[in-house]
Amino acid sequence: MRNVRIWFKKDYECRYISHLDLNRTMLRALHKSKLPIWHTEGFNPHPFATFPLPLSLGFRGVNECMDVKLEDDTLDLKAIPDMLNPCLPRGIQVFNATEVLMKAGKVAYASFTMLISNDKIPSGKICEDLKKLFAGEKIELEKRSKKGMKTVDIRPGIRSFEITERFDAAELNIVLSAGSSDNVNPNLILTALSHQTGTEYDADITRNDLYNSDMELFR
Amino acid sequence: MVSKEVEKLLLKVQKPGRYVGGELNEVIKDKRKVAVRFAFCFPDTYEVGMSHLGMKILYSQFNSVEDIWCERVFAPWTDMEALMREHNIPLYALESGDPISDFDFIGFTLQYELSYTNMLNMLRLGNVPILSSERTELKNIVVAGGPCACNPEPIADFVDLFFIGEGEEVDLEVMELLRRCRDEGKSKSEFLRLCADIEGVYVPSLYEVTYKEDGTIESFTPKDGAPAVIHKRLMKKMDESYYPDNFVVPLVEIVHDRAVQEIFRGCIRGCRFCQAGFIYRPVREKSPEVINAQCRALCENTGYDEVSLSSLSSSDYSQIVPLLEQLTSWTKDEKVSISLPSLRVDGFTDEIMNRIKTVRKSGLTFAPEAGSQRMRDVINKNVQHDELMQTCATAFAGGWTTVKLYFMIGLPTETMDDVAAIAGLGQDVVDTYYHTENRPKGKSVRVTVSASSFVPKPFTPFQWEPQDTIPVLHEKQEHIKNSITTRKISFNYHDADTSFLEAVFARGDRRLCKAMALACERGFHFDGWNDCFDLQKWLEIFDECGIDPAFYANRRRSFDEILPWDHIDYGVTKAFLKKECQKAYENTTTPHCRLQCSGCGAAKYGEGVCFEKRQNLV
Repeated sequence: MRNVRIWFKKDYECRYISHLDLNRTMLRALHKSKLPIWHTEGFNPHPFATFPLPLSLGFRGVNECMDVKLEDDTLDLKAIPDMLNPCLPRGIQVFNATEVLMKAGKVAYASFTMLISNDKIPSGKICEDLKKLFAGEKIELEKRSKKGMKTVDIRPGIRSFEITERFDAAELNIVLSAGSSDNVNPNLILTALSHQTGTEYDADITRNDLYNSDMELFR
Repeated sequence: MVSKEVEKLLLKVQKPGRYVGGELNEVIKDKRKVAVRFAFCFPDTYEVGMSHLGMKILYSQFNSVEDIWCERVFAPWTDMEALMREHNIPLYALESGDPISDFDFIGFTLQYELSYTNMLNMLRLGNVPILSSERTELKNIVVAGGPCACNPEPIADFVDLFFIGEGEEVDLEVMELLRRCRDEGKSKSEFLRLCADIEGVYVPSLYEVTYKEDGTIESFTPKDGAPAVIHKRLMKKMDESYYPDNFVVPLVEIVHDRAVQEIFRGCIRGCRFCQAGFIYRPVREKSPEVINAQCRALCENTGYDEVSLSSLSSSDYSQIVPLLEQLTSWTKDEKVSISLPSLRVDGFTDEIMNRIKTVRKSGLTFAPEAGSQRMRDVINKNVQHDELMQTCATAFAGGWTTVKLYFMIGLPTETMDDVAAIAGLGQDVVDTYYHTENRPKGKSVRVTVSASSFVPKPFTPFQWEPQDTIPVLHEKQEHIKNSITTRKISFNYHDADTSFLEAVFARGDRRLCKAMALACERGFHFDGWNDCFDLQKWLEIFDECGIDPAFYANRRRSFDEILPWDHIDYGVTKAFLKKECQKAYENTTTPHCRLQCSGCGAAKYGEGVCFEKRQNLV
């Protein structure tokens, strides 16, 4: 038995499914593909898969991963994409399968590309507003928690960012804290921007890569 | 495929995955290369509609014809609907993203009466005029089928034509006719007139109805040479009938998220309240070999690890044990589990239980329907008290500790004692648990008693019966609640208000169309969902239209009255239904089709159970 990390993209229609739905879709694809995946032992045996860092509904993902256990140690990992892709909807595309080099818990950062727009506001203005937002020492937001509302500062969770003016959107490339603790969802940046300007924005968000705490690519 | 405009809305609504399509096995064609485009509309949410077997069968079958492209359309939930209206986005089909007004056919499957307003609302959302008479071109032909088409009258003004009976053949014949009429430059009315000559097609605009002073029907007259009686269509040979080897596999979780395998159509039992038990006669089975092969193909093509054997009463399948043997020979290795819904109380044997248990233990639900033996005889349920207790004991000995029991209240001739007997039966099941020697150790039993309100339906022996009024139904619900003395039984019941409206629509006539149109104008939708349903608003509409809903729901019809659906023939004769109704009054049961033929009329189709060799005759 060996651990395998399966890499895939999530886009098109599949952007709009939740993590639970993605999980279900993947399990069905694994079942259909007849890959020798280890199944849980119990009343309802099902293929076992975990996701190092779930992707929020609505985001595109270009370097997403899922961990499974293979029962066949001799299987050529390169064969996996071709086995899985015919079993998946067009919005999910497997492009690689690798050995697991880092434990799932090592994920510390994630990089995103956000295209932020509003039909009525020139993208240059949005860029300026973004710069203003990041210039502050703190970016405070009200967040719902188990003990009621609390104020959190997301500024420390922003590792780096770059703002570029595009024709119809402000492009924000940003690296945010990720993982089970200190996760900053890029939607929070948008919320903070809306708070500052009093305007709603459309956003097209893509998650690019995951990193460990030394900013090495998560593999 | 969704447009940029729709994409902007998706992140603002709940469960956007139901508005995007793009699922595995979805059928995409080039619209420039197809001759007929069919928008298959299910007048409820994606999760409900995608669970419906009939839609899966017809979707695959239509698309198996090269130049027909059938796409799926569902009712958007209220949040999405509001945004679509705000942004002027017309209702679109999931595959192409094209508005439904682009389609040759807009077809609805009518599974329950309370979805009528959704049908109209969907047309309106698609900018398609709801009245048949306002759609004058040979496009956007609105068609409808499904069980509610057996009384098409309450929606006769909106639907151009109804498919009566099973759709596999007749739907394609109508599509073929449209193509021909279009090539020949015929008008919509010429097309509809020609459709009426196809067996199984009902074109309501070709009939005239007059009413007596007391509100009942005086006459029903065909115009322009249309047939006086419309006969249903049915598939005679189930083994040869089309069945998909592939389902669209939803991206989001749906109500029945599994492969579904049909094992037979119809039901031998003849429970007197059950419409399906009469309109799908005669019983026609598939062979175990065909079922097994179809199941396997479905599981392989979809990746589902659960398959449900679908029919009106699974344990009545004549070869259930050989079938389960064939299935379990591969399902265990493939880690596929089998579920058998619609098990009859008297059909749950050790053999079946052990076969289902090999892979997964699913919940147990039985439907005794009535509490007292007398009442069960009235409705011809043919289930004995001892049988139910025996079955529960078998289940408890097999490790089950929860049982759900379904009942109806408001059945004809029901007394308060019959109602209290529902609670009594629940108590007997609890007692049986504690009398079962090898029950699961150290566990308590849970019995769920669920009571819905009886709605008299067309084409049943109770089609002449009044429904109990809402206050009476409330009283009966209260009576059950007060009769339950243990906390091991949990009791729930259906809202009587919705059952009342269902009863109005189920046996309504054309005069209800006015109310439907007004309801549509006022934005009624999702009447079947408690969040949206408001009886008070409906009563206001009935009042404005001069309609007395009690005339339809709570009135006893006389046997010689012309019923709104009398011109439709489902194979079961009115004389038979009448005889069954009278037997009900005498607390007399009728044996099921395999024991004895009762001469319902369905033998005229020359197939199915009517021609099986009866065991007692061998």
